[in-house]
Amino acid sequence: MKRFFSSALMRGLFWQFIGTLVGAGLVTAIRAAMGLSVTDKFFFTEPAWVLGAFFGVLFFMVGTGVTSDWIKWARGIDPPEHHEERFQGWEKYVNISLDHKVIGVQYAITSLALICIGGLFALIFRTELAQSQLQFLTTDLSLFGQNGPQLYNTLMSLHGMIMIVSILLGIASAMNYVIPLMLGAQDMSFPRLNAFSFWIAVPAAILLLMSLVLGGFDTGWTGYPPLSARAPVGMQMFFLGVFTAGWSSILGALNIIVTVVRMRAKGMTAFRMPIFVWAAIATSIISLTATQLIGLSFQMVMFQRLFGMGFFDPGKGGNPILFQHLFWFYSHPAVYVFVLPGLGIISELLPVFVRKPLFGYRWIAMSSMAIALVGFVVWAHHMFTSGMNEYLRVPFMYSTLLVAVPTGVKFFSWIATIWKGKITTPTPMLFVLAGIVAFLMGGLSGPPNATVSVDLHLHDTYMIVGHFHDTIFGGFVFPFFAALYFWFPKATGRRMNETLGKLHFWLMTPAFFVLTLGMMRIGLLGMRRRIVDYDPAMGFDSTHMVLTIAAFLIALAVLIFLYNFFNSIKNGEKAEGNVWNSRSPEWQVPSPMPAHNYDQPFEVVGEPYDYGLAGSKYVEFIKSEKSAHN
Amino acid sequence: MSHTQDKSSAFQQGIVIFVYLAALTALEYFVAVVFTAIPILVLIAFIKVALVMYYYMHIYKLNEESDSDRDSYSYKTGSNRFGLWLFLLSDAFVFGGLLVSRINLLGFTRPPLNQTLGLAVTAVLLLSSFFMNRGETAMAHGDKKGFVVNTMITLALGLGFLLGVVAVEWPNAAREGLTASGNVAGGIFYMMTGMHAFHVFTGLIFLGIILNNNRKGVYSAEKHWGVEAAAVYWHFVDLVWIFFYPALYLIGKLL
Repeated sequence: MKRFFSSALMRGLFWQFIGTLVGAGLVTAIRAAMGLSVTDKFFFTEPAWVLGAFFGVLFFMVGTGVTSDWIKWARGIDPPEHHEERFQGWEKYVNISLDHKVIGVQYAITSLALICIGGLFALIFRTELAQSQLQFLTTDLSLFGQNGPQLYNTLMSLHGMIMIVSILLGIASAMNYVIPLMLGAQDMSFPRLNAFSFWIAVPAAILLLMSLVLGGFDTGWTGYPPLSARAPVGMQMFFLGVFTAGWSSILGALNIIVTVVRMRAKGMTAFRMPIFVWAAIATSIISLTATQLIGLSFQMVMFQRLFGMGFFDPGKGGNPILFQHLFWFYSHPAVYVFVLPGLGIISELLPVFVRKPLFGYRWIAMSSMAIALVGFVVWAHHMFTSGMNEYLRVPFMYSTLLVAVPTGVKFFSWIATIWKGKITTPTPMLFVLAGIVAFLMGGLSGPPNATVSVDLHLHDTYMIVGHFHDTIFGGFVFPFFAALYFWFPKATGRRMNETLGKLHFWLMTPAFFVLTLGMMRIGLLGMRRRIVDYDPAMGFDSTHMVLTIAAFLIALAVLIFLYNFFNSIKNGEKAEGNVWNSRSPEWQVPSPMPAHNYDQPFEVVGEPYDYGLAGSKYVEFIKSEKSAHN
Repeated sequence: MSHTQDKSSAFQQGIVIFVYLAALTALEYFVAVVFTAIPILVLIAFIKVALVMYYYMHIYKLNEESDSDRDSYSYKTGSNRFGLWLFLLSDAFVFGGLLVSRINLLGFTRPPLNQTLGLAVTAVLLLSSFFMNRGETAMAHGDKKGFVVNTMITLALGLGFLLGVVAVEWPNAAREGLTASGNVAGGIFYMMTGMHAFHVFTGLIFLGIILNNNRKGVYSAEKHWGVEAAAVYWHFVDLVWIFFYPALYLIGKLL
C-alpha cells in the first residue's frame, strides 16, 4: 500500500492538486491586487479555476517524472537510451514505464476505468428516464450546485465525453500494444513521447470529472455556444479536459505514424503489413490533424468566456455557426478515429477464426484510407438544421453517403472471408461477429440520417442516439472486447475464462440490440434526445423501461468481464503458446512477451493472411546475431 | 543540399533566398497598398512558403537515405525529423483554423492597424529567419562561433518581434479602439497574434536551450539534431506569419 502511495500516479495526482491551488491562488492574488472579486460560487473565481486547472496538468506531468528525460536533454545531459524496468508486477503499471506493452496495458486499464464511470453516469440518467415525470433527479435535489434536471444534463454530457476519451484510450491501448509487435520493432519510435501521451490523459480525465462538481454544464458533449458561453464554471473544466486529452491523441497518433513508417521488419512492404496497421495509420492521420480543431474551437469559447472575445457572440459580430464548423471538422472524423481500429481488429481476427485468407486485402487496406480521407469532408451533415448556408446541404449529403462505399467494401470482404470457412467461435470470434452485425445496423441506419430531407425530422431524436450507439458498439466496443480476449494471453501468459467470456457475450449482445433498436423505435416516434423528462401521453414509458433494463444487463455483463479480466491475470489457465493458431509474428514466440520484444528479428517472406494454404509462411525468424532488426 | 555544399556557397544561398523573400514581401505590401488583388497576395504567400520550406527548412531532408542501422544517430535523426514535420503539420491545422475563422468572421474587411508597425515586425521576423538559417549552416560546417553569433542575433530579433507585437502593437491597437472584448475583429486579431506570439515565445525557449547546450559542447557538425529542430521550428513560426501578416494587415477593406 505504501508503495502504491509513492507511485508516479499518486505523485502526479498530489502535484496536480498542488498545481491547481498554485494556479488558482496566483490569479486570486492578482485579482485581489487589482481590486476585483476574489471568490465565487465555487470558492475560486472562474479565471482562477482555469489557470489552476492548467497548472494542475503541468504539475502532474512534471510531478510524475515523465518529462524528466526531456528536462535533462534541455540542460545538455544525455539520459540513457533504454531504461531498465525498475518495477515488477502491478507496480510497473502505476509508475512511469517506457515499454510500449506496459503503456498499452496502462491505456487499457484507464480506458476500462473510464468506461465504468461513463457507464455509471448512463445508468443514473437511464434510471431517471425509465418512467415519465421526474423521480429522483427532481428540482428539489441539490448536488454540486445543480438541481436534478441540471445534474441530468451534466451526467448526460459527461457520459458522452468520458466515453469518447475512454474510446480514444482504448484504441490507443490496442495500437500501442500490438503495432510494434506486428512490425517486429523493439518499441515505438519515441518511447518517452509515448509515455507522455498516456500520462497526460490521466489529468485530462480528472479535469472532466472536476466539471461535474464545479457546477456541471448543460450543453451536451458538443459544447455549442451561446449556451456554453454561459454555462457554469464546470464548462471550462470540460473544455480544458478535452483540450488535454486531445494532446494525448495527437502525440500518440504522431508516434504511431512514425513507428509504422520507420520501424517495419525486413520485407514488410506496404501491402504485406497486417491489416490492423493500415487501420491504425488511417486513424492516426485523422487524430494527428483534425484534433487541433476541436482544441481550437473549445479554446475560443474558453477565451470568449474569460476575455470577452466575441468569436461566437452575434452581439459583437461573431458567428455561432463558425463554432459548429470548427467543432465538427474534428468531431465527425473522430467517429472514424473510434471505429477504424475496431474494423481493423475485425479484419485482423476474422481470418484467424475462419481459417481462410482475408478476402480482398488491398481493398480493405485502401478502404480504411478512403474512409479517413472522405471523413474530412462530411462534417456539416451534423448541421443541416443549424441554419448554415443552404447550398452547403446537398454537397455534404452526397459526401456523407459516399462514406457508405468504402464501408461497404469492408462488409463484402468480411462476408467473402467467412464464406465456406472453417468457423470456430471462441469468445473473441463471438465479439467479432457481433461487431460486424452491430456495425451493419449502425451503417444501415446512417444513410437515412445523412439525407437532408429525412434528417430535418430525425435530428436530435433518439433515432440518432440509437444509430451512433450501434456504430460505436459495432466499430469499437465489440472489437475492443474481442481484442482484449484475443491478446490477453499475449500480455499475461494466461487466458481468460471461456465460460465467463461467453456469459459476458450472451448477456451483453441481446441487451445491446434491444437497447439500440428500442432507441431507434421511440426516436422515429418523436422521442427527443438530451431531455430529462417526456410526456406520458407519448406512450414511451414501457419502451423506456425496457431500455433501462437492457442498460443494466449490459452493465452486469461488463462487471462479469471485469471480474474475469482481473481474476484471469493470476488464476487464468496457462496459455503460453500460439493459443489461436495465428500467423501473426507476435504469436510465433512464447507469451508473455519479454521487455524488448523479439530475441531474434524476423523477416516477412509471404502474405499475412494466407490461412489454410499449404506451405505458406508470413514471417521467418532470422537466425544470425548480426543482421539485427533491419 | 547544405552539407554537400561548402560553407560560403551555403551562406550565399541563404542570402539570395533572403533577398527573394524580402522582395516578395515588399511587392506584397505594394500590391496591397496600390490595388486590392487577393489572388496575387495568396500567390506571393505560397511562393514565399515554398522558398522557406525548401531552402530554410530543408524539407527535402525527409527523403534522405539514412544509415540502415536503426540504433545509429543518422537513422534516429531521420525518425525525429519525420516526427517534427508531422508535429508541424498538426500545428498548422490550428493556424489554418484561425485563418478560416478570420475569413468567416471578417470576410473582405480588415481591422484598423498601424501599417508601418506591421511591416516593421514582419521585416524583423523575416530577418531573424535569415540569421537562423545562417546559424544552422554554420553549425553544419563546424563553425561554432558563427553558430553562436547568428543564433544570438536570431534570438534578439525574435525577442524584438515578440515585444513589437505584444508590447507595442497590442497597446497601440487598444488605443485605436481595437480591444479583445470589443467587436469580433479585435477578438480575432488578439487571438491570431497571441497564438502566433506564443509559438514565437516557445521558439525563443528552444533557441535558448540550443545556445546553452552548445556551450556545454553537445553539438558537432555531424550531430546537431537539436539545432536543426529548433531552426526548423523557428522557420515554421515565420511561415505562419507569411499568411497571418497579409490576412490581418493587407487584405480587404478597412473596417
